[in-house]
Amino acid sequence: MYSKMIKTDGDIIIIQKGIADTFFSNVDVSLMNKINTLAHVKSSYAMIVGASPVGHIPIAGIYGVSENHLSHYKLQEGKYPKQSEVLLGKTLAKQIRSRSVKIGNKRFKISGSYTSKIGFEDGGVVMNISDASDLFSRSASFILVSAKSPNYTQQIKDKIADMDTEIEVKTTQSFVQEYNQFKIIENSSFIISALAFAMGLMGIASVMSMIVNSRKEEFGIMRALGKSRFFIIKNLFFETLIISFSAYLFALLLSLLILQALPHIQMLQGYVNGSLSFTSAIYVLISTLAMSLIGTLIPAWIASKTDPIILINQGCS
Amino acid sequence: MIEAKGISHFYGKEQVLYDISLQINRGDFIFLSGESGSGKSTLLSILSTLLNPSTGELLLDETPIKDIKDIDNFRQNKIGFVFQFHYLINYLSVYENIALAASNNKKDEIYNLMHELGILGLTQRYPNEISGGQRQRVSLARALINNPCIIFADEPTGSLDSMHTRIVYELLSKVCNKGTTVVVASHDEQVKNYATHTIRLKDGKL
Repeated sequence: MYSKMIKTDGDIIIIQKGIADTFFSNVDVSLMNKINTLAHVKSSYAMIVGASPVGHIPIAGIYGVSENHLSHYKLQEGKYPKQSEVLLGKTLAKQIRSRSVKIGNKRFKISGSYTSKIGFEDGGVVMNISDASDLFSRSASFILVSAKSPNYTQQIKDKIADMDTEIEVKTTQSFVQEYNQFKIIENSSFIISALAFAMGLMGIASVMSMIVNSRKEEFGIMRALGKSRFFIIKNLFFETLIISFSAYLFALLLSLLILQALPHIQMLQGYVNGSLSFTSAIYVLISTLAMSLIGTLIPAWIASKTDPIILINQGCS
Repeated sequence: MIEAKGISHFYGKEQVLYDISLQINRGDFIFLSGESGSGKSTLLSILSTLLNPSTGELLLDETPIKDIKDIDNFRQNKIGFVFQFHYLINYLSVYENIALAASNNKKDEIYNLMHELGILGLTQRYPNEISGGQRQRVSLARALINNPCIIFADEPTGSLDSMHTRIVYELLSKVCNKGTTVVVASHDEQVKNYATHTIRLKDGKL
């Protein structure tokens, strides 16, 4: 979410040197004036990112943005905020109906509401950077710079780096990749989902194996009637394919529905979001089918090599 | 036709058959008798190729069973089985249960056989929707559908009343008269009335 915001809004990000989190970063906002004079710079804007109680809401994201960036937030109603005014995200606006709201120790007039393409921003508050600067006692959390062409990104980055020794200049792409919290969140999510998926796969294999074992009597009867091992395994193969593919389709539809619904759940204020790539969906499909077939075919193969009467008796016991 | 040479069998460490040698000829109606636990079912399973003996050799028409390349095809076309508990497949209809055993599309033969056995009206019913006697007749139809050379029946009337018991034995006798070998393992002494030979087992020995 946050990474999406940074990646889509600029090519270069400037943060305070040696600070691990943009929440604690403090960059001199006047640097923007110098940056705007550089060749091949399309635009730049500064932003303060913070969090604070907003009215009766215990915590909400606060985005203090420079004036040239306010239009990034699409007005839903009202107008863009002036000094001592705030614009509420549409999710937050549904919960705060008054004309003004207290943020920190200061009361702000509500100038309107906005929508954003980035879901979690809809749960936040947008204000002028100067108001945010008073609120959080810092000049800017970061400055984002857009180049006229991606070919100039490196050149601009080097020039900005020479302007101040207290800043760190990175392409937004590398920033997102290196940013500790993104990494932690990404790695944790990956490990948790991989573990859950592995357990799910083992569950599938185990259930399929139990199903095959519970059908030993049936296989014994078929073998006694002269049906070949190949006949039994082929039937099981197709049964498993149909069952596991149907289960996969159901799970996929359910996941897509949940992912679609998440940004619209008011309680979550757009902070919980997710996506499912085509590649991931294909990997899940292949793994599901593979584990189902392993869970089915191994016990079926073992069963098919057993004497029919033993299978029948095992099935009865 | 069937020759068993020195067959012994163990379940784990427990020996249930001791050095059994016997010969069964074409058209015989064999009554394999003995008390419960005497080894009748085990011997029947070995004779019908459903169980490999621990030691010894089984020959069918002088060919060792282990030399038959396609044992599944052999079982399907040459052997018919009737079990005490029917062992019909519950999710298949009566017709489908019989058709499952058929070596190829034998629609007319299935209907004729069902008519002969008085179960034609049960075509679309499922095993759990019919009586025990009807199930046993379906099981018989399944065993007879490929006109096998040998029919093995393990306590085929164990769950039937006296009327149905008589019907089953008369039917097996009729099949035997047409040249099919019938081997029935049972502790029911009335099989003797239909059998041409009796083989008695006691504690796994002849």
